Amino acid sequence: MMAYIIRRVLYVIPVVFGVALVTFILFNVVGWNAASQMLGKHASPEEIAALQERLGLSGPLYQQFSHYLWQIVTLDFGRSYATNQKISTLILNGILPSLSLTVPIFLIDLLLAIGIALVAAYYRNTWLDRSIVVLAVIGMSISYLVYILVGQYLLAYRAGMFPIWGYETAKYLLLPVIIGVVSGLGSGVRFYRTVMLDEMYQDYVRTAFAKGCTQRSVLFKHVLKNAMIPILTSVVLSIPFLYTGNLLLENFFGIPGLGYLSVEAINSADYPVIKAVVFVGSVLYVFASLLTDICYALVDPRIKLR
Amino acid sequence: MCCFRPLLRVVAVLLAAMGSLRVEAIIPARQNAAFYGSTERIRGFDPVQTGDTTSAAAVSKVYEGLYEYKYLARPYAVRPLLAEALPEISADALTYTIRIRRGVRFADDPCFPGGKGRELTAEDFLYSWKRLADTRNRSTGYWIFEGRIVGLDEFHKRSIKEKVRYDEPVEGLQVLDRYTLQIKLTQPYPQLIWVLTMTYTFAVPREAVEYYGEEFLNHPVGTGPFVVADWRWRNYRIVYARNPNYHGDTYPTEGEPGDPLEDAGQPIPFLNRITEYVVGDDSTEWLMFLSGQLAASGISRNNFDAVITAQKDLTPELKVRGIRLYKSPRMYTTYLGFNMDDPVVGKNQKLRQALACAVDIEKWIAFYNHRMVPATGPIPPGVAGYDPAQPSPYKFDLDRARRLLVEAGYPGGKDPQTGSRLTLTMEIGNASDPETRQAADLLASFFDRIGVELKPSYNNWPEFLKKLERRQAQMFQLGWLIDYPDAENFLQLFYSKNASPGPNHCNYANPEFDRLYEQIRVMQDSPERTAIYQRMAGLVVEDCPWIFLTHPLSFGLFQPWLKNFKPSDFPYPNMKFYKVERHP
Amino acid sequence: MHSPPMPLASASLWTTAWQQLRRNRLAMVCLGIIVFYALVAVYAEGVYWFYRLRQQTPPYKVVEFESRFAQPSWRHPLGTDSLGRDVFRQVVQGTRIAFEVGILTSLIAIPIAVLLGALAGYFGKRVDDLIVWLYTVFDSIPGLLFILAIAIVVGKGLLGVCLGIGLTTWVGLCRLIRGEYIKHRDRQYVLAARVIGVSDWAIMFRHILPNVLHLVIISFSLRFPGAILTEVVLSYLGVGVQGEPSWGIMISDAKLRLWQGHWWELAGATTAMFFIVLAFNLFGDALRDALDPKLRTAEAKTA
Repeated sequence: MMAYIIRRVLYVIPVVFGVALVTFILFNVVGWNAASQMLGKHASPEEIAALQERLGLSGPLYQQFSHYLWQIVTLDFGRSYATNQKISTLILNGILPSLSLTVPIFLIDLLLAIGIALVAAYYRNTWLDRSIVVLAVIGMSISYLVYILVGQYLLAYRAGMFPIWGYETAKYLLLPVIIGVVSGLGSGVRFYRTVMLDEMYQDYVRTAFAKGCTQRSVLFKHVLKNAMIPILTSVVLSIPFLYTGNLLLENFFGIPGLGYLSVEAINSADYPVIKAVVFVGSVLYVFASLLTDICYALVDPRIKLR
Repeated sequence: MCCFRPLLRVVAVLLAAMGSLRVEAIIPARQNAAFYGSTERIRGFDPVQTGDTTSAAAVSKVYEGLYEYKYLARPYAVRPLLAEALPEISADALTYTIRIRRGVRFADDPCFPGGKGRELTAEDFLYSWKRLADTRNRSTGYWIFEGRIVGLDEFHKRSIKEKVRYDEPVEGLQVLDRYTLQIKLTQPYPQLIWVLTMTYTFAVPREAVEYYGEEFLNHPVGTGPFVVADWRWRNYRIVYARNPNYHGDTYPTEGEPGDPLEDAGQPIPFLNRITEYVVGDDSTEWLMFLSGQLAASGISRNNFDAVITAQKDLTPELKVRGIRLYKSPRMYTTYLGFNMDDPVVGKNQKLRQALACAVDIEKWIAFYNHRMVPATGPIPPGVAGYDPAQPSPYKFDLDRARRLLVEAGYPGGKDPQTGSRLTLTMEIGNASDPETRQAADLLASFFDRIGVELKPSYNNWPEFLKKLERRQAQMFQLGWLIDYPDAENFLQLFYSKNASPGPNHCNYANPEFDRLYEQIRVMQDSPERTAIYQRMAGLVVEDCPWIFLTHPLSFGLFQPWLKNFKPSDFPYPNMKFYKVERHP
Repeated sequence: MHSPPMPLASASLWTTAWQQLRRNRLAMVCLGIIVFYALVAVYAEGVYWFYRLRQQTPPYKVVEFESRFAQPSWRHPLGTDSLGRDVFRQVVQGTRIAFEVGILTSLIAIPIAVLLGALAGYFGKRVDDLIVWLYTVFDSIPGLLFILAIAIVVGKGLLGVCLGIGLTTWVGLCRLIRGEYIKHRDRQYVLAARVIGVSDWAIMFRHILPNVLHLVIISFSLRFPGAILTEVVLSYLGVGVQGEPSWGIMISDAKLRLWQGHWWELAGATTAMFFIVLAFNLFGDALRDALDPKLRTAEAKTA
């Protein structure tokens, strides 16, 4: 047991190393070096070379990679090419706005989706269930952009129900949250309904029915309880993605989170910023999956590494 | 269904919680003297790094220089700001003596002993200009002094290899006493007075630079009318507040007919607070302006014909709301550049002329909704040397274009050796903007008519600059916005010693042009100089390193509650004159 | 014929699945829609190459400046855009781009997934460790950001988009294939093949692969709509297809005039996109239910 947990914790190291390697290959080997944009149009080659040395972008690749690993260890990702800001500050400042958008979306979505999925499972194979499924798939098939454009134009501009853009008070978050919830609901409902139906056809459920338990008690006492494991897994594994925010919503509504930061960075080829956001997001995910695996092991002692 | 009620209750509670959660209670109730505007992302508040207009506007709220443009006067004229008077210039035009105002204090900041802002002295300018010359500061503006001030170039070159100390004397920059500054030039520099209004030359206190180190760009400490109140979310919003230490200035008392003069002689600034959002998206910005969230807005091409009538006036529905329109010419030239190093377009003058004749400029301007006038040469209206009477020899003429194409060796747009269509690549700087994309498609349709294929290649801005610096672009679309009101600023773009990575991105080289340029570089404004400007422009028009497109006009809208607004080519510090009355 | 007896399941699996699908009326309608769109895409591809080879400007790019922002009419069923180009023709070309993206990304992702999954599952041990490590790493990187980063580094355009989507979306399928190979590698027919000296390579791809092929088919039909939606978002953010009318670019253009009530460009692109994505989603579900009902939860999790 303990041995498994230790092994599992140690496995984080090669994975984080792998993430570092992939991002390094992507940005330092494949991608060109944009450092000279810090110096503007009149820079001489000597000035650019001097700057690259200070940024750890000169020298052979292994040296650059060790410089990058050192940055990771010290949690100092250098400065943005485009705005010259400290990247760690940019990321820290962006986390709160991102979470203030993604956490409400996530929670509301989760509750609504599970609720609707329960309804569908309760009325399985009736017209209600079928229309819920079709509606869910329709919801999944509409592009995010449509939700956003129509929401901003009709609800915010035409109807004047919400501010059009910005991040000043909680009111400014309402529309993006609603759009986020609506657009994510379809796939959520479909997933939870499937999870519950799978559980419904298990032997113990049939036994419970045979023993004369009511639909409702079976659904809540047995099905929901057992379905919690896949549900919790998906929940825990989605949590790290809350951190990177929502690229489109943030960009469109001007919420100064990490999604907004990333899109800006992408538009200005600001590699160090993208690299840092990607890396930190990945590391959070690695730790979340570590957490789920350990919880599993505690719940079910039979589980071994793979 | 009763079992689902608890769930709904949870959702209801959550929604209620969201409603009461205040993310950041910074904006007070809308009030007088608060201005809401839009801006773009800036690189920070270090004056030596303000290469773009947005950063210049931000820096000018907080920092100040020796001189500034008079707010209302046209043509542009200079008045002292931190200087006491205009400079005393020696007879050989090589020595400038400038006295600065007494009693001006920097804003209060922890970098000063006791936190109280110190008095500005002549030393501060010396220090700030040496900072500009020091390559370690990643300055983008040293070109304004390059080759001009005695001894400063040596200082600049040394800073590449070693850490330079700002106490080291530079011969051309001297302090005569606490309030007197002397500049020694290597050759006459007629544009120096304009240059001293530019943000690169603004005064920064040494204490702040040393106290904040690398973070200096986020902690501006200046003498200007405003201080930065909130800039936590760098790419979202900047909030400025009135600077309590401001030395005080007054609204101008004279201007052109029709200028806003209700507040003549009143102390400035009128605004207590300025909030500028980095909106980025044209259509969002427009919706915000319509709903009253912004005080002023540009008019994007796509909205123009819906907002402005054929008579170049506002549509009635906007007029009713009291929204006002401003329009003014800009000292701005847009063009298609050829890379003169390119084997296809660079060495074939006839081909360039043919392509120039193929551009249907009327249609191009119609695409931009008549917000611009056709350009016949590099020099824009408003500066000496602009000659609207001189028609371009290569204006739109399809027959001529086809004839020239034959002379160029590509009859019908086909390369006779390979038999395939001549295909040219045009680099464009901003792919995410739909307007740029549509404009490129329109240009391609022009060249298509003479059989030449134009392929747009989209880049983000740094990629684009990179290609220009490395001379990898075949053609590129770009504009030049004037730095100071003198045509020399445009003509330097064709000087061979300024070739890439300098600002001469088309890498044009013409000995005759170079000779004339070196001649006018040291000439004071005079009819002779203007005549040479026109000769130089003529050389460029004939050689066609650029296809001259347009001189855009500046159009914008502002809400009825914004007062004292006047458009300018150099609008950077102008917000101190604005006034907001009765916010709805 | 040295090959040992193969499990007979695969042939009948396809037949029964097809019979089941044919009874599902919704799935058949969706299949019809997909086939229709595919034909449109082929037609659009033809138009594109026809004009490209003749070095002429294709009709969907023809600028008719005088008739810009025209409302839908007989001449322009979906109106015109800000340069007077026909929106309907652009929607048709957008279908081509969507299919190109869907197919190219699958051509990148599926071979990677199958090859790595097969190697890991079949050989186990060190190879497995390495491949599991690799996909764990890829799985950890936030999806859309990773795609954007690849697209921007490789260069804007169709290639960048396809590489971005292709290189990031192989993990789910790879995991499934690996699981199947682990199950199959100790089956009778595999052991028998090994005894008579069939090479590992042949066992992996000639003997086992047909038995897991249905996973590939399901994965293909389920990833297609995702790829289309992602392409639209990328084009909207400005890193997508350049110089050709993709649905994302059309939406981004349409946005500018929406406030004036010019709805047709937005409506054209989004409606076209909606139906193909919907059809693929529904058909993919039906296909999965017919071929391998157990997959439902597994797929949903990796989606």
